[in-house]
Amino acid sequence: MSATELVTVTVDGREVHVPPGTGLVETALAAGVEIPVFCYEPRLGAAVGACRMCLCEIEGMPKLQAACTLTATNGMIVRTAQTSERAAEGQEATLEFILVNHPLDCPVCDKGGECPLQDLTFRWGPGNTRMTFPKRTFEKPIPISPAIALDRERCILCYRCTRFSESVAEDGQLVALNRGAESVIATFEDEPYLAPFSGNVIELCPVGALTSTQYRFEARPWEIQNVPTVCGLCPVGCNIQATTREGKVKRILSRNHPEVDEGWLCDKGRFAFTHLRARDRIADPLRRVRRRGFDVLSWDDALGEAAELLMQAQGRIVTALSGSETVEQAYALGRLMRAGLGAHTGVLPEETSPALDAFRLPLSAIRDAELEPVAERAPIVELWVKAARRQGAQVEQAGDALEGCRRLADKRNALGKSLRESERAILIWSGEEGAGGAHLAALAKELGFAGKPASGAFHLPCTPNGRGIADAWAAASDDEGPNPEPIGLLFVSGDEAAADPNVRALAERAERVIVNAMFQGLAVGWADLVLPGTSYLERDGTYVNLEGRLQRLRRAVIPPAPDELAWISKLAERFAVEVSPHASAVFAEVSERIYDGLPFGEVGEEAPLRTRSEAPAPQLPSEPAAEGKGLRLVRYRPLFSGPAVERVPELQFQRPAPEVELSPGDAGRRGIAPGETVTVTHNGTSLQLRARITKSLREGIVRIAAEHAGELGGTVEVAK
Amino acid sequence: MAIRELTLAHAGERDLSKLAEYQAIGGYKALAKARKMKPEAVVEQLLASNLRGRGGAGFPMGRKASFLAKGTGKPTYLCVNADESEPGTFKDREIMLLNPHRLIEGCLVTAHAIESQNVFIYLRGEYLDVFEVMRRALEDARKAGLMGDVTIVLHRGAGAYICGEESALLESLEGKRGQPRPRPPFPAVSGLYGSPTLINNVQTIATVPVIVEKGGEWYAKIGPEPSPGTVVFSLSGNVERPGNYELLLGSGLRELIYDLGGGIPDGRELKAIIPGGSSTTVMTPDQLDTDLDFNSVAEAGSQLGAAAVIVIDDRACMVQLALRSTQFYMHESCGKCTPCREGTRWMVQLLQKLEDGRAEQSELDLLLSVCDRVLGKCLCALGDFAAGPVVEYVRNFRDEFQRHIDEGGCPFGGESSLEGTFAPVDQHTHAPVAEVPA
Ligand SMILES: Cc1cc2nc3c(=O)[nH]c(=O)nc-3n(C[C@H](O)[C@H](O)[C@H](O)COP(=O)(O)O)c2cc1C
Ligand code: SF4
Ligand code: SF4
Ligand code: SF4
Ligand code: FES
Repeated sequence: MSATELVTVTVDGREVHVPPGTGLVETALAAGVEIPVFCYEPRLGAAVGACRMCLCEIEGMPKLQAACTLTATNGMIVRTAQTSERAAEGQEATLEFILVNHPLDCPVCDKGGECPLQDLTFRWGPGNTRMTFPKRTFEKPIPISPAIALDRERCILCYRCTRFSESVAEDGQLVALNRGAESVIATFEDEPYLAPFSGNVIELCPVGALTSTQYRFEARPWEIQNVPTVCGLCPVGCNIQATTREGKVKRILSRNHPEVDEGWLCDKGRFAFTHLRARDRIADPLRRVRRRGFDVLSWDDALGEAAELLMQAQGRIVTALSGSETVEQAYALGRLMRAGLGAHTGVLPEETSPALDAFRLPLSAIRDAELEPVAERAPIVELWVKAARRQGAQVEQAGDALEGCRRLADKRNALGKSLRESERAILIWSGEEGAGGAHLAALAKELGFAGKPASGAFHLPCTPNGRGIADAWAAASDDEGPNPEPIGLLFVSGDEAAADPNVRALAERAERVIVNAMFQGLAVGWADLVLPGTSYLERDGTYVNLEGRLQRLRRAVIPPAPDELAWISKLAERFAVEVSPHASAVFAEVSERIYDGLPFGEVGEEAPLRTRSEAPAPQLPSEPAAEGKGLRLVRYRPLFSGPAVERVPELQFQRPAPEVELSPGDAGRRGIAPGETVTVTHNGTSLQLRARITKSLREGIVRIAAEHAGELGGTVEVAK
Repeated sequence: MAIRELTLAHAGERDLSKLAEYQAIGGYKALAKARKMKPEAVVEQLLASNLRGRGGAGFPMGRKASFLAKGTGKPTYLCVNADESEPGTFKDREIMLLNPHRLIEGCLVTAHAIESQNVFIYLRGEYLDVFEVMRRALEDARKAGLMGDVTIVLHRGAGAYICGEESALLESLEGKRGQPRPRPPFPAVSGLYGSPTLINNVQTIATVPVIVEKGGEWYAKIGPEPSPGTVVFSLSGNVERPGNYELLLGSGLRELIYDLGGGIPDGRELKAIIPGGSSTTVMTPDQLDTDLDFNSVAEAGSQLGAAAVIVIDDRACMVQLALRSTQFYMHESCGKCTPCREGTRWMVQLLQKLEDGRAEQSELDLLLSVCDRVLGKCLCALGDFAAGPVVEYVRNFRDEFQRHIDEGGCPFGGESSLEGTFAPVDQHTHAPVAEVPA
């Protein structure tokens, strides 16, 4: 922006030039002046001017003004509490009023030490109190969900939490009740706050009114470390900080990446970390012993045993990956198996494709788009789509990947036509039929998105690092080999693979099985040798998220057993393959091959998105999907599922119900009412599920969470 | 002093709630005339009339209408503020009960002027009788084909004074918690559902037809120049003949209380006057010769507000009065902004202690300091409505406050009476207002 388009504002005598419309709080900051705030939080929508902490004097306005509700205009002269006695008095008044009924139980408050109210009171507040009456009291703390406790006495009624619930997550579950001094925060109808993003209100609360039940009384700010890393529980890869104390993760906070997550986390990312301490966590290598179950092995013995098993298989090895390995881990494993043992067969958790790299955009572009056919919901993506809708974008239900792709590519399709005309259109797709985004890329190309920098496409993968591990595995060797039959050894990498029925089916055909997993429940009973697994919070390395952004994982805590890179490196040594145990060194090697030599250090704290790359777009799916009669079943992996979530009590109540989702039209034709039990049939197998009718589904499609879909697939019939 | 009835013209003689009767006195002629005029021409008449809003702030109505954003591609809305909930006010009720079609005609003329097809009347929830009268009148007007392309929605509030504040009214209409919005943006730019919105008081809108009928210039000439026209004064408290009196602005306060109101009953002395509803500054008997118009009352240090004149005789303990007023505001504070939410509660605690005779000297100063910390720092005017009057009660009746401290109790010794002036706060309904049978 050129200087002529900037406005000049004077804050406490300092001139500053900012674009017109910049918030006054930000303008002051640009001038090096901090205006204290409580309720102001631009991510929650328009300022509300509730707390009155930001009172300032503006020349030409007789009354003190809430700076947070104003924007910069040319020639504005602002005097904050630093230079205006009136503003200082206003601020002191606000603080005094906030404190008259505040319990000041800082010594037992989780927020103590990192509390804006404490800090501002210390800096601006009165040293004593003039309040001599009994303070307002409430029952406290009130559990508003298994994960969140509410202390109404500490609440300063900044309405951040209710605004989040109403206008960001749009779940409408947190509300304010009563009026005036009797106002309190509550959940709607006193129901538990049951929503996928509920935990964000803990972080938004500027005082200790909303606290995490997991973190309650667990640590003090001066005894913790915050480790900047990324969430490894889904392909969004939200930027997080892991708070640790004495070698244990105590909580997960967001670390606002404005292009990825805007500082929001889903409850899985926030609360699932206690799976690190799950009761069935494996700390030592285990060997199956006849009749007695398992024996604990020393690491030396375990590596000896593993080498033995690998040797015996004579290259007839299949490696099943989870999609939660780091790029480095997958590459190291690839080096061991492929270069060391000539075992090239890897079973990837999902199909991936580089084709979408040509239509790459940051997730934040979703918010700024005008037209969005959406075929799937994913945690944080859902919030971006909601933000887009609030800004007036047209959001359309697009059907599933196959059918929708073909339909929109058709030149006669009305939505397809609008997409061709739009300069800011975004396709959001998912589903196993989508060929890892290849079909979507073909559609994007067909719609002319290649020449439109603000139009793009996202295919939502199922696993956190599916793309990263696929590329890394591929980069590990240029050789190829046949699929082994029979399978001498199945190497199962990670808990998700261990939980996958397809992998279990492979194990039936394998002579021997090695499982690398965190949890006994997933390893015991079918593995000959179990090597302890680690979590994303215990590893160094990189992940590639659904945008194609390389992000840096940092070890927050030491795992109970050596991490995978360490022993893969040792094992590889035995097969004369050199693999470093250090993520940085492994990354350098991978990067040389597939990331243009990008140095590890440059992946960075706030990772940039690599530019769009040219990739030949594949063809649209030409074969019509097996239509047949009945409804297409979309199996999906719900947010609150998977081995980690299953081990976290606070998340149990968010797990998906055994339901089948139907469109109102399909339900109506079959006479199905919401909540009724229905029978879903495919090829003679059938399941009883509860019907849920949702307007967000297109006709002809039903959805069932994979964990409740059993063997069902393809086309199904639903009947009462 | 002349009673001059414009909004209540003929309401004493005939049942104007009947459409035929209203038409018989020339009703809906202004609408016909307006609809033949260009919308801008109607706004020009409103500008020329210098009609000032009757809801309290006295802002010129024509100017507000001319601020409405044009060409936004969004609908323009008209909202009529009929939430009338401030202690002392009851003029809108009278207008709507006796002359509902005057308001409806005003709505339709104004809608034409601002090119709006959607009018909302936000009616105080407790006004069940008014609701029935307005509902019938609206139905009659609709059946008579008077609506044109305009829809008028009659919306009942749920018992919150704050919803009379214009931006809280909009929030409430949108189905949200009734709490004020920060301004800017002003409703003329972004009001109801983010669209340009004009909000006016019942009486303001009910005055529009006569302006169109007789012309803005004519209207500007009746009454004193800076604030012409008539206002329905709601006279209450300790007077012989309380009630509504439609008078020219600039009429005398003394005449209203003594000539029309019949003076103070039972040979009592006049002690204080609240000229515009409980939010306005108290006046004392030596100010009886103030003219009742916006500027004169302001010069006397008070506000005309909603023209709700409350007369207080010498039985009243001013500490008790201040307490009751503050209790009302504490009860009605929406709780959005800190100074009002916490300050009104603290003020009540301090005033109660003073009234009980338990307060120390420093606590009187503390009370004034708390008021000062509320004044001018809140999101909406309610905070000022609460704190401003208290400061003036203390300033004008300091002796009485002092005696409560010195004598360790109320000098009236339990004989004080606020009868007829301010109802105790527990008489304000907080429960959901009565349901209207479908
Ligand atoms: C707390 C509060 C309560 C109010 N209550 C009313 C009311 O009941 N009726 C009304 O007309 N205006 C009320 N107002 C004033 C309105 O905000 C607004 O100024 C008025 O409706 C504008 O109409 P007018 O310009 O025709 O006067 C209130 C203001 C405040 C701050
Ligand atoms: S609970 Fe916290 S976030 Fe919510 S209103 Fe109270 S102080 Fe604000
Ligand atoms: S959305 Fe995905 S990446 Fe973000 S916190 Fe949740 S699970 Fe983690
Ligand atoms: S001044 Fe009172 S009524 Fe107005 S916004 Fe603040 S708390 Fe609500
Ligand atoms: S930060 Fe400005 S009013 Fe709260």
